[in-house]
Amino acid sequence: MKKTQRTGVIREYDMHSASVKVGYGFILLLCGLMVVIAVFPLIWVSLAGFKDLKEFVSSESIIPQSFSPEPFATTWSQLGIAKNYLNSLISVVGSVACALVFNGLLGYGIGILKPKGHGAVKRLVMLSLLMPPTISIVPLFMNIQNLRMGNSFLPLWLSFGANAMYVILFVQFFESLPGSIIEASRIDGCSQLQTFFRIVLPLSKPICTVISIFAVNAAWSDFLLPYLVLRGAEKQTVMVRLFVFSTEQTVNADAMMRSVVFAMIPPIILFFIFQKQLTENAVSVGIKG
Amino acid sequence: MSGQAKRLKSHAKLRENIQSWLIMLPGLILMTFFVWEPLFESIRMSLYKTRNVELVRFVGLDNFASVTGKDDFLQALQNTFSYTFWSLIIGFVLPILLAMLIGETVRGKSFFRTAVYLPNMLPGLAVIILWSAFFSGEKSGVLNILLGKLGVSPQSYLTHAEWVIPIIIVIATWKGAGATALIYMAGMAGISPELYEAAAIDGASVPKRIIHILLPAVRKLAGTLLILQIISVFQIMYEPMVLTKGGPDNASLSLMQLMWQYAFGGAMNYGKASAVAVIVTLILLVMTAVYSFFNRKESDWD
Repeated sequence: MKKTQRTGVIREYDMHSASVKVGYGFILLLCGLMVVIAVFPLIWVSLAGFKDLKEFVSSESIIPQSFSPEPFATTWSQLGIAKNYLNSLISVVGSVACALVFNGLLGYGIGILKPKGHGAVKRLVMLSLLMPPTISIVPLFMNIQNLRMGNSFLPLWLSFGANAMYVILFVQFFESLPGSIIEASRIDGCSQLQTFFRIVLPLSKPICTVISIFAVNAAWSDFLLPYLVLRGAEKQTVMVRLFVFSTEQTVNADAMMRSVVFAMIPPIILFFIFQKQLTENAVSVGIKG
Repeated sequence: MSGQAKRLKSHAKLRENIQSWLIMLPGLILMTFFVWEPLFESIRMSLYKTRNVELVRFVGLDNFASVTGKDDFLQALQNTFSYTFWSLIIGFVLPILLAMLIGETVRGKSFFRTAVYLPNMLPGLAVIILWSAFFSGEKSGVLNILLGKLGVSPQSYLTHAEWVIPIIIVIATWKGAGATALIYMAGMAGISPELYEAAAIDGASVPKRIIHILLPAVRKLAGTLLILQIISVFQIMYEPMVLTKGGPDNASLSLMQLMWQYAFGGAMNYGKASAVAVIVTLILLVMTAVYSFFNRKESDWD
């Protein structure tokens, strides 16, 4: 079977009708328009980054006068974005590690070990999916303060270890693993923890990849809790910095646009590397947002 | 003998159970600390007068009375429903249409999928700042440049009270519609092409096939996505916070933004902030309950 098979409502045989042909052309046109709408703002903001302040606020043209990368370099060094990038990296790495280990172990318990009473935990986790995370940001922030974990990356990392969506994804994947392999490993004398690290994790590469991509992106984009926790300038991540810019209006509009570009570059790179995994797994994880 | 074996076996079983719980323990502690306890804590805090991070004294429903008695609460409540309304108008049907359009294409399908998904990966905060320049009232605002070419005079979009909420929803839809469309595409992929083929042979036109085959197949999915969309729009917070600061004149202030203002807007009134959070949670619970009630009724009919 050819790959270019029609799978939609319109069948090959409809294409003999002139009105359907016109309609199909119209569909392609709309799809093209959709791509333009999705991509144009990104192209625009990148172009705007080349403008200096005067040009940015007065020019009525979208194309900048010059394409010298100098404004980007100036903003990068003047605002010290490199430090924020480093902080974001620290935050992302720890968050992904916590997301995999803690949610993975909890998912292992619910999906494979199934000790007495695991059903209650499963229901609790499912229920927490419905509970919006920002609702409890106030008491969460107080708890963090009370434990004197303010101005540290630790609470941000650990918060990724408590993600109901990731737990459910792990459980669903683990339940699809063949039980015989796990049993065999137990008979060979592996403990439950050894089985997890030697048998289950290596088999779970697909789900770990997906959760890692989403955790990287979420940790990079998150700014509300990081803003509250990382109060000092020393530890601000890129997004926290951007949030501070936007609330305190301490930077000019042109530098702001360049900061937006800096904030978008890593997710866009991530997107292009993993676009296949992302668009194929959007279904399961997308439900969340 | 067999009794002893049984005892040994149950002993091993017990040990295994304990070990399993120990493995789950770190995750459970984190879930408790970050998700479950804060939820109960916010209910408790809403009943107390607070000073900084301390609970000073129990005041019953005083926080609720004080919060709901203010004009900005009614305004925020109304705005939040308005956000939800506009998001249904602008953001509900669009992903279905996108999925249908992309589903019909023969070549370039994966390119279109990738392109519409891209905005979803971008950091929400960066997206909002980007669009604020788009809707800027200056002559250099992108929309003003584009519409200027069509002869429309420059407008100050974000200072019109009746425009801000739809604009914020347009931005949120730009970011999220593609990802939702992919979910619908997966749902539509479950329809066998033979069904369309058979309908075509029976003489059903393309629109008829859409109405009688495609739409019924995604109805249940659409219902689920609808409730998820309502729940997520109801919590809208940082978008108006960054784009308009809730203005002009509180016209885009949302309930969650009001909560943030009570807690972190200088007053540090965590008790009142929690009262707002509890009210939002209650409204969401009622909505979810209503949804599952209708959902159950529907599946009874099936």
